[in-house]
Amino acid sequence: MRLLMWWSGRALSSAATLLGVSVLIFAAVRLMPGGFAETVLGPFATAEQKAELATRYGLDQPVFMQYGHWLGTVAGGDFGISMISRQPVGAELLARLPVTAELSLLAVAVSVLAGVPLGVLTAVRARPGGGGAAGRLLSGLGVSVPEFVLGSLVVFVFSRYALGLEVGAWVPLTQDPARNLATMVLPAAVLSVFAVSVTARTTRDAVMGVLVEPYVTAAVGRGESPWFIVRHHILRNAAAPVVTLLGTITAYLLGGALIVEHVFNLPGVGSYIVQAVGRRDYAVVQAGVLLAAGVFIVMNVVIDLLVGVLDPRLGVTAGRRS
Amino acid sequence: MSLLSVRNLVIDYAGTRALDGADLEVAHGEKVGLVGESGSGKSTLGSAVGRLLPRPARRGGGEVLVAGEPVFDLPPAGVRRLRRRHLGFVFQDPIGSLDPTMRVGAQLRLVLGRGADVNVHLERVRLDDPRVARAYPHQLSGGMAQRVAVAMAMATSPELLVADEPTAALDSQVREEVLNVVFALAADAGTSLLWLSHDLPAVARRCDRVAVMYGGRVVEHGPAREVLGKPAHPYTAALAGSAPAAAAHGARLEPVPGRPPVLTGPSPGCAFAPRCALAADRCHHERPDPVRVRDQEVLCHRAGEVTA
Repeated sequence: MRLLMWWSGRALSSAATLLGVSVLIFAAVRLMPGGFAETVLGPFATAEQKAELATRYGLDQPVFMQYGHWLGTVAGGDFGISMISRQPVGAELLARLPVTAELSLLAVAVSVLAGVPLGVLTAVRARPGGGGAAGRLLSGLGVSVPEFVLGSLVVFVFSRYALGLEVGAWVPLTQDPARNLATMVLPAAVLSVFAVSVTARTTRDAVMGVLVEPYVTAAVGRGESPWFIVRHHILRNAAAPVVTLLGTITAYLLGGALIVEHVFNLPGVGSYIVQAVGRRDYAVVQAGVLLAAGVFIVMNVVIDLLVGVLDPRLGVTAGRRS
Repeated sequence: MSLLSVRNLVIDYAGTRALDGADLEVAHGEKVGLVGESGSGKSTLGSAVGRLLPRPARRGGGEVLVAGEPVFDLPPAGVRRLRRRHLGFVFQDPIGSLDPTMRVGAQLRLVLGRGADVNVHLERVRLDDPRVARAYPHQLSGGMAQRVAVAMAMATSPELLVADEPTAALDSQVREEVLNVVFALAADAGTSLLWLSHDLPAVARRCDRVAVMYGGRVVEHGPAREVLGKPAHPYTAALAGSAPAAAAHGARLEPVPGRPPVLTGPSPGCAFAPRCALAADRCHHERPDPVRVRDQEVLCHRAGEVTA
């Protein structure tokens, strides 16, 4: 019963969130200076030409009518037609999703495999006054260097000097897996710098918080070894914030790593949206943002379920018992 | 040879002196109560027995011997072996000392080994309900959780159990049940007990010996009834006088006047001198050496002049 209540509550709030996002994005694309007609026809188009184009795409109707029409088709699973490529937006997004998914998976895998052990190790080895400063500086740097700076630097270095990895020559995974991976390594690495830094830091903080818990002292008092305690008592107790972070990073990347995909010229969801914004391709921007919001909502439900499994006190059915 | 022997132990926490040359002996099978006000160094002494002090703690001198082994001079693996073979700990916060993400049964199995019968160990602490093993710590009451913690600490039949105010967080009825379990299990296993407590009447009832701490030192040590019945140290006398149960019905409780000291370095004289009615000039400048009064070891220049 409680579970049913939880799911229905989540479904309702998710629907409300999506609806809010749809209104915001629909309004936002139309508030951008320079409408679709101006962008497509250029600065020298006549008023008649613009009006003709607007009529063709229904842009002459009142905005709330346009919105109602769009919402109706989206609810039916149809995201409309790209005004530039004249292809269905849904199909184009779907075709680009594997690229973004692969990129996200690589970056998140590196965060888990490097960030989590780094965080655990630095927390367990932490001594008062020793080593912490260097780690904080490094992770602070990793968190704060913007992706476009790092991305551009990597693109420059790797296209200027032959270092064995190609930049900008994306190959489909199905065509040549090895070359595909070679083109994905660099963008994934650029994304990882931020993800690893923030994962390591969050893991470290979480583990340090668990280390001072009485049950850890009790385990030390029973004569357990540090790694036994890490494995059995610390990892799971420190997992909730790390899982939340990794889920958020995954959702963020799946919605399209806009800058990195664009800089590395990868045909993913992110570069698709960036192009669409430039060309005022309303249907594509709307669908892309809605997709990103949907991914976030689903990921948040997944995070809540996972955290509840990891820590029974936080479970979705745990209720409000202290 | 004593099972536990603490000699002139000095422990500092970043500028604060928690132990200022503490001495304590616990023999095999003995039940020793360690009493004193909050901040007197009880918990530090209890933790030092297993080298479980928090990170900023520094040993400024002295030693702790458990079964003849110097706890502070052993390599990490040696300390772990010593804890596994000889020591058990029970702490104040019963639910906090259990892992919140593991079922009680799983935690016990982690201590006992895979094939062990968890229910036998739960029944020993009078938790007969089979649902306890399947419960998470937050689903237990404080008394149940503390009995689980006792079962875990006693699972390996340690030679010495250090119980740091195990009943401070429990209500009075549950308190007695938990103490009964602790003392019964200790008696069965021949385990010595170092019980840190504020509860003087309970200590007098249950313990063979009592050690009274003040200002980071054990100021009086001897048979429980003697120490609490005929104190030889002015502080013990004041403490015994301030215990509710010691007062005749209707009589005014006499609180210990003044505040306990916060030491930043070695106390120049007797740490209790500023609060002591009997303090003489030398009490402020000269650290007292242990003297024997009746069956008690006392750190006081004027021991023996005390009349309770």
